[in-house]
Amino acid sequence: MLTQQAYDRLGETVYRTTLANGLQVVLVPKAGFHKTFAIMTTDYGSIDNHFVPRGQTQPVRFPDGIAHFLEHKLFEKEDHDAFDLFGKYGASSNAFTSFTQTSYLFATTSQLHANLDILLDFVQEPYFTPATVTKEKGIIGQEIQMYDDDPGWQSYFGMIGNLYPKEPLSIDIAGTVASIDQITAADLYAAYRTFYHPSNMSLVLVGKLDPTETLDWISANQAKKTFTPASPLQRIASPVTAPDQVIAHTTRYLAVTRPKVSLGIRGYDAVPAGRAGLRYDVSLSLVFDLLFNDTSDNYLRLYNANVIDDSFGYDFLVQRGAHFGQLASDTDNPELFIGEMQAILADVPAQLRTAQPQFELVKREAIGRLIGAVNSVEAIANQYSGPLFAGSTLFDELTILEALQFDDLLPLAQSFFGAGRQTVATILPEGLRNR
Amino acid sequence: MHLRIKDGVTLDLLPTKQFKTVGIKVDFVTPLRATAITARALLAQVLETSTAAYPTQTALARQLSAMYGANFGITVLKAGTQHIVRLTCSVVDEQYLTSYADQQPLFERGMALLKAVLFAPLLPQGHFDPTTFTQQRQNLLTAIKSLDDDKQYLANRRLQELLFAGQPTQAMSALGDVTTLGELTADDILATYHEMLAHDAVHIAVIGDVTVERAQAALATWPLVDRTVPDTLPYYHWTAKTTVQTGDDVAPVTQAKLNLAYRVPVYRNDKDFMATVVFNAVFGGTPLSLLFTNVREKASLAYYASSSYSSYTGTISVQTGIQAQNQTRVLAIIADQLATLQRGEVQPELLAEIKASLLNARLTVLDSPQRLLAGRLNAQLTHVTTSLTDWQAALNAVTVADIQRVAQQVTLQATYCLHGGEH
Repeated sequence: MLTQQAYDRLGETVYRTTLANGLQVVLVPKAGFHKTFAIMTTDYGSIDNHFVPRGQTQPVRFPDGIAHFLEHKLFEKEDHDAFDLFGKYGASSNAFTSFTQTSYLFATTSQLHANLDILLDFVQEPYFTPATVTKEKGIIGQEIQMYDDDPGWQSYFGMIGNLYPKEPLSIDIAGTVASIDQITAADLYAAYRTFYHPSNMSLVLVGKLDPTETLDWISANQAKKTFTPASPLQRIASPVTAPDQVIAHTTRYLAVTRPKVSLGIRGYDAVPAGRAGLRYDVSLSLVFDLLFNDTSDNYLRLYNANVIDDSFGYDFLVQRGAHFGQLASDTDNPELFIGEMQAILADVPAQLRTAQPQFELVKREAIGRLIGAVNSVEAIANQYSGPLFAGSTLFDELTILEALQFDDLLPLAQSFFGAGRQTVATILPEGLRNR
Repeated sequence: MHLRIKDGVTLDLLPTKQFKTVGIKVDFVTPLRATAITARALLAQVLETSTAAYPTQTALARQLSAMYGANFGITVLKAGTQHIVRLTCSVVDEQYLTSYADQQPLFERGMALLKAVLFAPLLPQGHFDPTTFTQQRQNLLTAIKSLDDDKQYLANRRLQELLFAGQPTQAMSALGDVTTLGELTADDILATYHEMLAHDAVHIAVIGDVTVERAQAALATWPLVDRTVPDTLPYYHWTAKTTVQTGDDVAPVTQAKLNLAYRVPVYRNDKDFMATVVFNAVFGGTPLSLLFTNVREKASLAYYASSSYSSYTGTISVQTGIQAQNQTRVLAIIADQLATLQRGEVQPELLAEIKASLLNARLTVLDSPQRLLAGRLNAQLTHVTTSLTDWQAALNAVTVADIQRVAQQVTLQATYCLHGGEH
């Protein structure tokens, strides 16, 4: 049975249900659209490398990069590749791995039923052998090296490594060439059996679809399969970095034209559970907008002083087990950039009071951007929070945002910045050598 | 709906209720001149920064926020022999806002903003503001230099320089070059500005729940004059070289970026255009392609190995990221795939899949306001509008023999490798 929630002003409705096997299903029909986007996600990502495999009693530490490796290998079967099955219908498919999730997706303008079966079947029928695992090591090795040469990624990961030293978050999502070399087919099966149970997964479809018919297809597919009863996951938490163990500053040299600075703020406060967590996330994002976006006095002052330029950006991220903010820019004056940013962060309440006249503007902008995102079936599907914020959607984010008042921000800002710890990761140029 | 606004000024209206936004795009198009590319790129930066009514970045940003996060930007791009300065403004359709209090709808406000940017820029005493000019020139300079931080971009740029040596308009990026930029003055930019407004072809496009009357009424207040637009097609024709140009550079990279350029003398208005699109998709343009299958999936030599076709310049480019020591092997595999197609060896199943994926990709464009707007430029430049039905018929008609005929016209022109040197 589908429950439905209508968002009348936007003219959109979200349909949901949980199947008997535990799979969360979310359907958002989009009138007038030609494309259907489907994404199946497990609550399992790169940080989950230490756990008790399902059916065993002792925890096992798996090689870094295993979740991403599994993502690559799930497509390949004994006599075919799921990629090619999608190809037969012209659908495009892909997959990606983050710190806490792995997702498999397709986009199609025809044959939705057939493509949906392909997605459910390839994700739910693993096939790993030593030969197929070995073959992938060269490919993923090149993927890792591609990121090694990406200064933006290196800057981001340098910052995360400083904030979360010795925690799995600091390890590149794909692992290292050395760590993936240790991955075996048995490892992949152990990880698969533990985290790919339907009760740990969601399936979201957005676009051209009929909710009832789509649910019938999903239910029929699942009814043909037998699943073991769900059992609790036993992730082994990594040792937490104490606040005084956050690395204050690192410097690296890479092939960049100008210095790149990434300032990170790690939250040590507790993010509220469920929907309140989304409110926390939306609120802190607004705080960052007020302090640093181009409507702020800070922005113009620092831009005109050549401390920042159009490369400046910021982000705030909440995910399972971690939340942090980032301020990043290319700059000719790294020291000045760091000093100015730290000065703003040193007195957030006062800074917020200064920026208060811009609150309505910043809120309007955030509302407008979210409504604009409703044009994109991918944006709607990718914004589904899964278990993080109790299955909330982009539409829920909009509801929360519209109700937010300036006075709501201060306590949350104080909670994050008050207990937060900062780091700076600097990348400096080493010259290109031509011959 | 296609309308003439003035001589040389057109409006495309794409009325739809599918989206929550109204999108506006204004293209200023002129034939590429090596001397003008950089000046136009800098002009775009300066115009994007402020206007007379919104004299600082902050004032402009606050106006955009007040308009519910209107997305405004100016970019420059190249299309064959043409240079384009593109303004875009996307606003929320206020019918989706819970409490919209302004008298004027957001589409009209978006048009008013674009009008202010174009016709009432910040010109104290008739000149661009010196501080803004100097700052934006410096920012563009660093932006151009920083492009090379992206090593895949850098390898591709060097490949283009090899391929189009001695043809600066083609070798240059749409942002221009740092030498010219360093010499530009505020007066140069002013001249470029007046030139652009007076003489460029102007193509405006609007998508959203907007009537033609509203679009025309908003445009009627823009002081655009008649202009004579040269009726040239955007195709860049060139002669194949008899020897393959090779180049490489050592840089501190972990992964070698190996790129190849081919000539294919087929342009968007040629009868073999669709066959070339299909050829490229089979060769390396999709994840089902021969390059993806053979370089990545079978040989495990790369994470990415793909090709792209430019129908304005008659070129096909290949990009790969590999271990430097595998260069010879990868080059051999790539050459083998081309030879396979030149022999006409394409599995019927693969051809059917490629066609299905191209159709799928074509239909997904219909769900993106940005891509629908951008797509109008092709029709303007080439004077050809292909209906979806005709496009599909052309796609279905492509045979293995057609792909083979195209493949036999594809000649390798340049190879370039950016690598870490001897370790």
